Amino acid sequence: MKPFDFLTPSTLDEALAALHDAPSTTRPLAGGQSLLLEMKERAATPARLVSLGGLEELRGSRYADSGELIVGAATTYAALADARLDGWHGLIPRVAGDLADRPVRTMGTIGGALCQANPRFDMPALAVGLDAKVTIASAVGGRTATAAQLLDPAGGATLRPNEILTKINFPALPTYSGAAFEKVRDRMFDAAVASAVCAISLGEDDRVVAIRLVLGALAPAPVLAERTAQRLVGTTADEHDVGDAAAIATDEVATRECAGTRQWRYQRELVSVLVCRAVNAALHQARRS
Amino acid sequence: MSPPANTAVADAPGTAAGSRLVGQSVPRREDLALLSGTARFIDDIRLPGMLYAKILRSEIAHARLKEVNTAPALEAPGVHAALCGANLVGKVKPWGDLGQDLLVGDHFPFATDKIIYEGQELAAVVADTKYQALDALERITVECEPLPALVDPELALRPDAPLIQEGITYEFGDGNIFDRYRVRVGDIAAAEREADVIVRQRFTTNRQVGAALEPHGCIADYDSFTGILTVYSSTQSIYLVRDGLADALQIPRNRVRVIVPSVGAGFGSKVQLFAHEVIAAVFSMRLGRPVNLVLGRKEVFQVGTARPGDVRYAELFAKRDGEIVGYREYVVHNCGAVSMWGNQVIHIGTNIGILPYPIPNVHVDSDIVHTNTASAGPLRGFGIPEMIWAKEQLVDLAAEELGMDPLELRARNVVRPETFPYRTPMGQVIDSTSVYDCLHKAAEEIGWAQLRAAPIPNEGVGLAVTMKYTSCRHPSLDTDLSAVRLKLETDGTVTIFSSDVSHGQGHATFLAQIVSDVLGVGIEKVNLAQPDSATCPFGLGTFASRAAALLGTACRQAAEHLREKIVQIAAHVLEANPEDLDTSQDRVHIRGLSDTGLFLENLAAYAAYRTHQLPPGFEPTLEAVATYDTPTEREAPDGSGNFSVTYSTAAHAARVRVDIDTGHITVVDYAMAHDTGVVINPLIVRGQHQGGFLMGLGMALGEDLVYDEQGHLLTASLADYAAPRATDLPELTKIYEIPAPSLTIPGGQKGAGESGTGPVPAAIGNAVYNAAGIRFTALPITADRMLLALREKERRGVTTLRYPDDMPDFDGPRSYEEWPGPTDSGLEDLLL
Repeated sequence: MKPFDFLTPSTLDEALAALHDAPSTTRPLAGGQSLLLEMKERAATPARLVSLGGLEELRGSRYADSGELIVGAATTYAALADARLDGWHGLIPRVAGDLADRPVRTMGTIGGALCQANPRFDMPALAVGLDAKVTIASAVGGRTATAAQLLDPAGGATLRPNEILTKINFPALPTYSGAAFEKVRDRMFDAAVASAVCAISLGEDDRVVAIRLVLGALAPAPVLAERTAQRLVGTTADEHDVGDAAAIATDEVATRECAGTRQWRYQRELVSVLVCRAVNAALHQARRS
Repeated sequence: MSPPANTAVADAPGTAAGSRLVGQSVPRREDLALLSGTARFIDDIRLPGMLYAKILRSEIAHARLKEVNTAPALEAPGVHAALCGANLVGKVKPWGDLGQDLLVGDHFPFATDKIIYEGQELAAVVADTKYQALDALERITVECEPLPALVDPELALRPDAPLIQEGITYEFGDGNIFDRYRVRVGDIAAAEREADVIVRQRFTTNRQVGAALEPHGCIADYDSFTGILTVYSSTQSIYLVRDGLADALQIPRNRVRVIVPSVGAGFGSKVQLFAHEVIAAVFSMRLGRPVNLVLGRKEVFQVGTARPGDVRYAELFAKRDGEIVGYREYVVHNCGAVSMWGNQVIHIGTNIGILPYPIPNVHVDSDIVHTNTASAGPLRGFGIPEMIWAKEQLVDLAAEELGMDPLELRARNVVRPETFPYRTPMGQVIDSTSVYDCLHKAAEEIGWAQLRAAPIPNEGVGLAVTMKYTSCRHPSLDTDLSAVRLKLETDGTVTIFSSDVSHGQGHATFLAQIVSDVLGVGIEKVNLAQPDSATCPFGLGTFASRAAALLGTACRQAAEHLREKIVQIAAHVLEANPEDLDTSQDRVHIRGLSDTGLFLENLAAYAAYRTHQLPPGFEPTLEAVATYDTPTEREAPDGSGNFSVTYSTAAHAARVRVDIDTGHITVVDYAMAHDTGVVINPLIVRGQHQGGFLMGLGMALGEDLVYDEQGHLLTASLADYAAPRATDLPELTKIYEIPAPSLTIPGGQKGAGESGTGPVPAAIGNAVYNAAGIRFTALPITADRMLLALREKERRGVTTLRYPDDMPDFDGPRSYEEWPGPTDSGLEDLLL
């Protein structure tokens, strides 16, 4: 680790101003569970760190009047895991409580994971899968984006150096009837080898009205499987439909060129398994509620 | 088959009934410091004026080194000195030749003209802080010309392969084969002719590392007035470090003192002199100040030594009735770019690994090669888990061919002589064993018969059995000794001095149990001194499962000598016959009258402060030293010999579940039946078995140094190196001891430290085959390999499949006809 200045602003405006001064050499620090490791290895050598730890406004979760769930970007996984949320929103704390290990969950944040944009992390896939919106602030004005827009298909986040991700809005409960997250990891606490998110809306007739299916860890950013989802729309998503969809998913999302590596072939084999598991779990929830 | 547990120790002196501590689960006296965080490791030591050194390591695996320029580093803030290879040529003696038949001078503190593996030392700086040292390293410039890297050991055999070691002429001329190994026992051609069933398979093994929580590291502290170099090091052997360092630096051995604080484990990875120890010493000698040099996790993965990687072409010959009549193997043994002990691993791993079967005809050839990968060294099991991985799977293959139950085939063949000692065709002298009972116990506890008769879908059971050395007379070192010096202090307390470092074996506890029993002194009055070459007698160190049996025996003998002296004083003062005296409850007393007599405190004080109380002519030193060297044999030219004083046993049975959707393998149940002879401390031995199993599990299911084709290590962090975690462990409640006390070791004990590891990969491999029909011939058995194998099996519509041999992308030999042979098997008079 190289020496650096450590700034501890108490308001978002102070933090944004500090970033604005010298954006190329300053990095915001949320939980530090990726950045600090890079700094220890000297892979990252920022001259200044702006801690987001003191910004109350970036922490915690609440419901907006619209019914959207607003999660502060600096909310730790541990805090998120403790949140009691109804309906399919309950998936968010479950995912937050079953990733990495306890020390990482205590420090690491949901916003940090989205900005780090590691495709093997759970939060990018979950945010894209549930079609979350993000709010981004800077000293010269703010903007909003979808989680999918935040995550560059080529890898990394589309955040400018002077910007800070402030909150993540998950859609209101009526948006979906059920949602599920499934992943395969080598060892407990490892990042995912592959993951899948399914958010589903069922009609009165129990048929699929809308479905969102996202695969994580297969590409530099989460991949939306639209063709696969389309196969299920209008169906009752019975065993046959889901099996069909899973087969389509493998061809749709696992198209990367480096098909030669064993890891890639393994991920490819997992796609259909995870799609089946995620769709069935989301259906199960939708039909139970 | 199992002699009563205490025959060998029942009449030990000083053991008043009911007071014996040997055999009891005395809680480890080491644990309070470890659990409360107060134990001191290398990096906790702060010496006045201490500086910090860091090493610049190569980021490429193979290159011609043109220039290393350390001058810019000297300009960096806080820097005191810098070193590179050119500074030390002619000043530091290359090492690696302490023992016979070991490589000559392949170790040097830095690369000089060639870089031969990633992580190799290029330069070092020493500064006021470790951060300044790291900053300064960034200023050093290195100029080199990359060369093609060699990672695959079989490619190393080819005449057109890149040559790795250029400056050393080996016994066999130029090339990457730096040693060969042979076994010629019996008549393998006859065995092949007579065999009814021959099973053959190519197996490969992985490069597992110790991954000890405490990294390698040292502090060198040179006193420029006395000329004494004190080195604090995280090592398993203070004398291997002391003698190696003195030799490399060409200074007398009484000018080098090695002290060892708490060691955060070694598992075999800290049994040699390392470059960082020499570098720290040179810096300290130049500057006259203490120098701390502790490696980072990535460095430990790169240079901390790893299990050799084997390609094993193995064949087993059996008769129709199940008798195993022959074993033939050709092994390409990958020792990395430099290797202190790697070639010894194949000697001992093969000789002992053939057990527990007294196979009459054994024929082994090995080409021992260099590659541009991490140095091969000892690791828990020393070649035995690798051989068992091949041999115990062949046994299952043979059972399948013969239509026999694998348990029955093993039971038919395990060593089970009418009388002990029994010498096997390989030369081992088995002085006692309960292997037959262990085998059945493990099978019974896993539910072998029921689960074989009514299998659970996607679950399977597997067996593997090993016998294991209890210390070893290394082919390269004609010695197998440990020593203890005991001192009765002037207040009647006792200090144990031993150079064998405890790094998880509980020396402070089990040695005190022995001393307490023999001297009749309370265990709370017995203390183990810090390992220190200035005060402790010469011993080889703590490895090879040698502590309890060898060090324990030396300790028992020293305690008996000391007891004689104490009894002599007491007999004089009490005007009693020494034969009528006994020791217990901190005193020497008339036998049967333990409330009378003289306290050890008084007797010790006579020898120090009341010398007129001593018998006439009595030499007042109340110390005793004992060295125990085992009655073992050197390796014979045919590879046979009794290397080990006694043999412990581990019979393991695994029950696994395979997730056919993800390929994940879960060990749902595991039974371990062991013969560790007389167990001094069941709690410690149980811990060793659990830890041994855990290392075997890591070897079976995840751990490996994975290299790309350029020799770049892809698993140089604990995030990428798949060591098992607590959640991967089954409930290890089925651990059983069936003691067959050693008849050679005076206390009856056998080595415990490594027997838990040997059978694990093979037992799991056999269980995986039983569960899923996939015969893994390569380690580790990871989920990705398993799932791809299952899919390939499904695609082909077959019931069984070998991985990777039957996979479409496998580029090795698929059948026996395509197998390669040893590069020079005709040379029968080879020096072993």
